[in-house]
Amino acid sequence: MSEVKANSRARLVYDPAELDYNFGPEHPLQPGRINALIDLLETCGLWRRTGEDSLLPLRAATVEELSQAHTSDYIAAVQTLSTPGSSKAESDERQLLAIKYGFADGDTPALPRMHDVCAHIAGGSLVALSAVMGLPAGGAFSSEDERPLHVFHPGGGLHHAWAERASGFCIYNDISVAIANVLRASEAKILYIDFDAHHGDGVQRAFYDDPRVMTVSLHETGRYLFPGTGDVLELGNGLGRGYSVNVPLEPFTEDDSYTEAIESLLSPLVISFAPDVIVTQHGCDTHAWDPLTHLSLTLRGIQAQITLAHQLAHTYCQGRWVALGGGGYDLYRVVPRAWSMVWAEMSDQALPEHLPDAWVERWRPVWSSVEDQEAAAQQVMGKAPAPTNFPTSFQDRPEDFPAQPRRWSISRANRHTVSLVRHLVVPSSVRQAFPAARSQSPLAGLFDLLHLRGSATPSRSKTLETPAGALLLRDFCPPSLVERLTVDEGLHAFARLPEREHQLLLSIARRPDCALTLAHTPAGRIAGEVTLAPGDEWWEGLENVYEVAIEVSSNWRGFGVGRNLLAFALELDALEDIILYAMGLSWHWDTEGLGLNFYRYRELIARLFASQGFVEYPTTEPNVKMEPANIFLARVGKRVDQRVVSQFFNHLLSTPNLAQL
Amino acid sequence: MIVSEIMTTKLVTVTPDDTLSHAANLLRQYQFHHLPVVRATTTVETLKSDQKSRKTLPVLEGLLTSQDINMAASLGTWSSSDLLHQPWQERRVLEMMHRATVRVSPTTSVAAAAQILVERGLNCLPVVEYERTGQASQEDEGGTRAVLVGLITRSDLLMALARSLGAFEPGMQLTIPLPMGDLTPLAQLLLLASELRIQVRSVIAAPLQAGIPLAATVRLGTIHPTPLLVRLQEAHIQYTFADLPGEGDSHV
Repeated sequence: MSEVKANSRARLVYDPAELDYNFGPEHPLQPGRINALIDLLETCGLWRRTGEDSLLPLRAATVEELSQAHTSDYIAAVQTLSTPGSSKAESDERQLLAIKYGFADGDTPALPRMHDVCAHIAGGSLVALSAVMGLPAGGAFSSEDERPLHVFHPGGGLHHAWAERASGFCIYNDISVAIANVLRASEAKILYIDFDAHHGDGVQRAFYDDPRVMTVSLHETGRYLFPGTGDVLELGNGLGRGYSVNVPLEPFTEDDSYTEAIESLLSPLVISFAPDVIVTQHGCDTHAWDPLTHLSLTLRGIQAQITLAHQLAHTYCQGRWVALGGGGYDLYRVVPRAWSMVWAEMSDQALPEHLPDAWVERWRPVWSSVEDQEAAAQQVMGKAPAPTNFPTSFQDRPEDFPAQPRRWSISRANRHTVSLVRHLVVPSSVRQAFPAARSQSPLAGLFDLLHLRGSATPSRSKTLETPAGALLLRDFCPPSLVERLTVDEGLHAFARLPEREHQLLLSIARRPDCALTLAHTPAGRIAGEVTLAPGDEWWEGLENVYEVAIEVSSNWRGFGVGRNLLAFALELDALEDIILYAMGLSWHWDTEGLGLNFYRYRELIARLFASQGFVEYPTTEPNVKMEPANIFLARVGKRVDQRVVSQFFNHLLSTPNLAQL
Repeated sequence: MIVSEIMTTKLVTVTPDDTLSHAANLLRQYQFHHLPVVRATTTVETLKSDQKSRKTLPVLEGLLTSQDINMAASLGTWSSSDLLHQPWQERRVLEMMHRATVRVSPTTSVAAAAQILVERGLNCLPVVEYERTGQASQEDEGGTRAVLVGLITRSDLLMALARSLGAFEPGMQLTIPLPMGDLTPLAQLLLLASELRIQVRSVIAAPLQAGIPLAATVRLGTIHPTPLLVRLQEAHIQYTFADLPGEGDSHV
């Protein structure tokens, strides 16, 4: 066997005990897929089970650890059902337990020793996340450099289990157990991204009202598919409102639309949530050959998802990343290849182009024995028949995946879903820094549009005297200026951390169709910002509509900075030729810092914008509609074409019919 | 389905002598819009073995809505010079509440309750049981008292609807056409589901045309429908699962 040259800070959690998670030969979930994966990794020389620098040993989770995510009566029931019953009376009682706790149907039958096996799986994810977070439960490492940064646990990812019920092939929810234990042991914020084709309902339920865990699930819509939940409007509850994100994609989505969705959503979500670690679930039942679902991806789309997860972890979480397995029911053609990609990406190794012949010879017969069943499954699910050959390369061959007939309308519907999600959960200043791909690109930069009559100076500046010292106001700040400035600690409403806010400001400054106006001290600390950007996707089709967003550092409140900065930013030649709007969303408001309630804050915003001629309008814009405290303000320029004005007001109260798109 | 199955029984109530400010605080704290007004009445019952038991029963006096409080508040600001020198916060619930004469009993059907709510334009109905009293007194209505046992609101009805659609249980959805209202395919499907140990979360035979169902929508508690779908095809039962890609798709 060749020497493994893996990145020493990546580990794989594997234990033969996990292979006993076996519901019988007729069940779609077979531990053989893990065997095939491990075999593929070893045959390719990507991983060794004996390698101390690549294997992270697991241990069973204790009942106490499990009880952080499961009710104790459920754990007790699982333990009871793990041992065979003896008497007749006992078996009736067991039947009752099975019905009550979700073991009565064919999906998740009770298994002998299941408590033990599932506790091992839950323990694997728990060890993985704790090790990455540097917590004692993850084991001791001789130095900080030894501590793993990325961990992959292919046996984990059982995301359907509820706190008090088994569901959808899942008994203990290893993800919830791991996250709940880390929340208890540290102050970390955790981002969970679920790429499985089924909605990650168990994890979402577990943290539905917890603002420290953001759950993001990309899945095939629940209109028909199990578990039926995962609508865009499931946003979390109480303090956790806005921390559950769901992206229901259309059946037959395919790679391009999928990649577009993840790329336009995940980065803004990560930057606005600022997590300490990313946990991803790489269920590969999204693949076109999967017998249970319809998303119709190929390994190209799955590779994009894995690469993006890795990149996000390095950009925003100092590399802390835990990847888990999950669904994936084309057991031998898809799962081993897809999850080898996860490991290869994580350990910075390149995959060979072709699958090793020895491996293909070993696993092709295993697949052949179930080939007919798979073909029947494809047909009853209403999908085009999959090619009847066993893959020989890591990547899929495009000719095996004929284009779906409704590709255009499907990607259009997905784009609509994504923009709705962006509206609902991504703060506007973050959204402006990550523009969605637009069908029409602006012909000229915003600077030219707003200086129709031509202006000699590239950017104006002005000094504002405040009781706390002088501030320099400057519009159309170039990136070179923003780079030299630092961000005041009090400026955190949108990106939540000053350094992130700085990154954000930089990316806004770099965009030609955005205008950034800053207030900074002579020493170079940014105390406030006004951004001006074209209206986002919801306003598509309307000309000359721009969104204004304002933020003033909490250290500079009460000096009229906001009012002066806004007035300065809006001293534009073209002011009367455009429509400006601003949205106040109550969940971004620093009401605690100001000691105001939402309605007083709302009034404050209304008065601030009214000073520049903004008027409040009722609207069906999805963001604003969420909360009665939210506010929508607009200023229609006097020279705006009457046709555009009436379009704008019609649009304000329009009801986008998602079903029609 | 009857009212007692879906009504709210954990009630927050006020007494007629509470102040409006107390009521307004409760409404704000719990974020709802209706407060039943009750007077706690103690009854003494004589049991068989000469034991006496004392029970405190909430007797319904009326209903106070957030609208009543708004009304009191706005009247308070308009009529500053008349007899009502008292600010609205200090006025008593008794002055502003309704008698809530439209009531239902726990055994009223949900359909009847829904009809009353819609016809009368109400949002909320108190659910009462009439108890006979031993001695007649002033508050009694013909020797009976209306004991408040619950409250049924439009939200309760909506939740009952969602629950009866099986929406709170994980499951997938299958649509079966019923040509000419023939229920045989549905019956066969249910038999197959029971044979394959697939739980049925809900069955809706709709839409109706001239009283005949055209299609049945069945919610099944499984992530793995393939065995069932194979059996359905073998039995030549048509079904719709997910949006099948059709050639002549035109709804864009």
